[in-house]
Amino acid sequence: MPVPALKAKDYKSGIKPVWCPGCGHFAVLAALTKAMAHLGFEKERVAVVSGIGCSSRLPAYIDSYGFHGIHGRALAAASGLKAARPDLTVVVAGGDGDGFSIGGNHFLHACRRNMDMTYIVMDNEVYGMTKGQASPTTRPTWTQSKMTPHGTGIPRFNPAAIALAAGAGFIARGYSGEPAEMTRLLVEAIEYPGFAFVQVLSGCVTFRPDQRGWKEVVHPFINDVPTEDRIKAAQIIQADEGKATGIIYASPFPVWQPENKQVTELNLFEEEFCI
Amino acid sequence: MNNNNEVSESNNSYSVAITGSGGSGAVTAGRIVLEAAARCGYLGLMTRSAGPQIRGGESAAMVRFSPDPVECMGNHFDLLVALDWLNIDRFADEIPLTDKSLILCDPAAGDVPAQLRSNGAEIREVPFKVFASGLPEGRINMVALGAMAMICGLQLEALEASVKQILQRKGGEVVESALRALSLGYNHDRRPVKAPLLPGERYDVWSITGNQACGVGALRGGVRFVAAYPITPASEMLEWLAPRLEKLGGSLLQAEDELASINMIIGASFGGVPSLTATSGPGLSLMVEGLGLALVSETPVTVVNVMRGGPSTGIPTKSEQADLDIALYGLHGDAPHLVFAPLSIHDCVFTTQWAVQLAEHLQTISVVLSDQSLGQSQAIIEIPPVPDMPWRRAIEEAPDADYMRYRVTADSISPMTLPGTPGGMYTADGLEHNEHGTPSSMAVDHREQLNKRLNKLEEFDYGDDWAEIEGQGDACIITWGSSTGVVKEARKKLRWQSRDIRIIAIRLLAPLQKQKLSRAIGGAGRILVVEQNHSGQLFRYLRAQGVLPKQAESLAQPGPLPLRSGRIIRLLTAKDE
Amino acid sequence: MSDNPEIVIETVGEFLVHALELEEASSDHYDELADSMEIHNNLKVAELFRKLGDYSRQHAKEVHERTAGIELPKITPWDFKWKCPSSPESFCMEEASYMMTITQAMEIALFNETRGRDFYQQVADNTPNDEVRRIALEMVEEEGWHVEMLREWQTSLQEEPPLDDLDPPNMPE
Repeated sequence: MPVPALKAKDYKSGIKPVWCPGCGHFAVLAALTKAMAHLGFEKERVAVVSGIGCSSRLPAYIDSYGFHGIHGRALAAASGLKAARPDLTVVVAGGDGDGFSIGGNHFLHACRRNMDMTYIVMDNEVYGMTKGQASPTTRPTWTQSKMTPHGTGIPRFNPAAIALAAGAGFIARGYSGEPAEMTRLLVEAIEYPGFAFVQVLSGCVTFRPDQRGWKEVVHPFINDVPTEDRIKAAQIIQADEGKATGIIYASPFPVWQPENKQVTELNLFEEEFCI
Repeated sequence: MNNNNEVSESNNSYSVAITGSGGSGAVTAGRIVLEAAARCGYLGLMTRSAGPQIRGGESAAMVRFSPDPVECMGNHFDLLVALDWLNIDRFADEIPLTDKSLILCDPAAGDVPAQLRSNGAEIREVPFKVFASGLPEGRINMVALGAMAMICGLQLEALEASVKQILQRKGGEVVESALRALSLGYNHDRRPVKAPLLPGERYDVWSITGNQACGVGALRGGVRFVAAYPITPASEMLEWLAPRLEKLGGSLLQAEDELASINMIIGASFGGVPSLTATSGPGLSLMVEGLGLALVSETPVTVVNVMRGGPSTGIPTKSEQADLDIALYGLHGDAPHLVFAPLSIHDCVFTTQWAVQLAEHLQTISVVLSDQSLGQSQAIIEIPPVPDMPWRRAIEEAPDADYMRYRVTADSISPMTLPGTPGGMYTADGLEHNEHGTPSSMAVDHREQLNKRLNKLEEFDYGDDWAEIEGQGDACIITWGSSTGVVKEARKKLRWQSRDIRIIAIRLLAPLQKQKLSRAIGGAGRILVVEQNHSGQLFRYLRAQGVLPKQAESLAQPGPLPLRSGRIIRLLTAKDE
Repeated sequence: MSDNPEIVIETVGEFLVHALELEEASSDHYDELADSMEIHNNLKVAELFRKLGDYSRQHAKEVHERTAGIELPKITPWDFKWKCPSSPESFCMEEASYMMTITQAMEIALFNETRGRDFYQQVADNTPNDEVRRIALEMVEEEGWHVEMLREWQTSLQEEPPLDDLDPPNMPE
């Protein structure tokens, strides 16, 4: 008897999200489960790994194996898991603080290591879980946090530009207000054989109510995207104010993945010590 | 009485120091002597000393061999071989000589420095340089090696075999030239210096470093994934493991930092593959948050911490047992876990395997406290037997509808499902959780899971391997890790004076086996806690745990100088009188 | 995608798949809003969204019944012929807030339900298939009735002052 195809809903765990009503992350959860249904994944062969933050609560809401680790280290945990278990589909989820601030170093090296996994960063330009402090992607003049009453005064982190410079082969930007398009981005990202980075503009209605205005400014890239040309990709990213959506860059690179094939026995190595 | 000791030490073992400016071949010569001694039936140990330079500077190899197991350096050296006198002042305090010692040197290198002459050692001169320059590719270290072998009573054939094995990669001409240099040195002056050691029994032996031995233990324990960041003095363990893991169906991932390495092994272990990392103090400091995650999510991992002088960057190339505090107490929250220390290079194999398998079985973290003196020393040891060790991770392959990842069971160990298993899906979490793994901040769940994580460690029967206990007597020395070697040496010397002491060398530091330890201490009158650090970390720990009788004393000596048996014996005997 | 000129649906199967997706996404969306409003103790608004979710579920069930015996095409999630970036009754996610009043919630609901009705109307206007038009117009009627009901409900509500955030967000991690 053929197993009936799973619907997006079947990939939800049933645990009710802690997110605020109106949070963009609901759309990411919906898009991810739709992507999983579209790809027809067996639930138990998927692992969703995250760090700490509002968006990092995602694994618990998906009915698959999940690892909710510590702040900033999701990519590291996911890399170890994928190295040891290449048979699994690995999705990493987190926020802008988790991925670009405390986890910034892992972001750089995950891009260049190019293991086959998808990294979704739900970027709301704020630390929601600790009550609204500026993050690396917050504009320098945003003064609404008590911790930085004059704004951060420092330039924003440009995730797409840094991913490209660090060697990522798949770079896309989506928007929580465009869930259907986001589903397409996620499907492409998951199918890309290597490290796929998807930045999702996912507004925080609680600490950044101004982000409700995103729907007026978010637009598809006017350029011809995606490109396979690294230089063109750099130009597109640098010319854009950060609110254009689509797959920017997709170019295949060698994937780092151990073979995990045993060809000898331990006692052979032990004999090397004999005099 | 002290003299008595020294005579006995020299009759039972032979200690050679080979020094030279970095690049002169002191360490290669040391390795050849050590393995030649093995071919003559001796066991032995070689430690190295180098400055902070990547290469060059000064370099020294200290070799000691004996018919008995050698687990520490002696109180003095029988022979100092000086390839040159450059930078000798940096080593002088690491190479104690007596009036019975011999200095072997080249007159062309200049006069023997006054500070070495002052102890009255005999000087024998051999023209290393003249002999070497007469040969194509002639090396002075090989000439010196030959002369040295004659003095220590090692057979030329044994030396030749070691030269062939160790230098074979460099090609036939180099080996040929080395053999001729060896022969010139050996035959130059055939006056024996002292009666040779009794020949050793013919053991089946390994020539291995502590770092390699930890690697063997890890592989025997089933480790098939390692992620790590290079650090002195742990890197050799990783370098040894990397190509071998690959051939055993695993892998080693060089991480971007230690924060990554600990989280990578947690990820791999979550996937079901026994995983380990190796590091030293600064790296362990960075890993501590990750260790807490592994502990709370009950994802087994092992960290081998090859200790060096601390705190901070400290003394990277020298040994110290100063990371016991961080290993025991470094984690925030109530975080019971396993802490081990191998008692010798030989024991690195067993202890690492035990640590890995107990971490797996108890679904917790193991910290193994090796150190530079074990890790980077080369030893000739009897081949470590493969122990019968049944401990494995409990894996749930067919979870039923009621499956709960963190179920409270009779032994507090909850069988774990692995990704890929239908019906066993859960999200591992560093947040406190209930039995399902769902985050919970309720007091009842917190208490239940705290109890579970404690009970599984406290109620496990660790058997007799928690410590090595030997000897009898009113005096008792409690020690741990690498200091065990020198403590055993002290006991051996005391026995030559017909006095015995009891030694308790603790291998399992946490959870502390309090009842067993109290029983082992018994009614000892003198109790000395010996360790190589400044503040007496084991002493304070045992005090805090309430297992030390009040008369116990601390002998804590920080690195980088090794503890010597003479100091322990003096302390034990002086206060007796 | 939002610039689709006209929605042209050619077969009954294609239409029913659209209708199913619209109603199911709508019920999921309202359920989610209801759940999160409950978590934030905005119970009046939660109740409204719960009710709207139930309506959509009922609609989805009815659409499902119509699919009996009809071959349904498989449409990838991003190939639905919506005129907006998501399915018509699930838009304006970000307009929700845990402090919203029942009247504000009603505005969102009306906006979504009107768009649902408009979608069916556009299908009816543009389809070359008479059967599709017939079913679409039936649905316009149902949705229209639904919109009217919401309007009546809305007028019966009294304007409420905005809620005070007496217990502002806390810091769980």
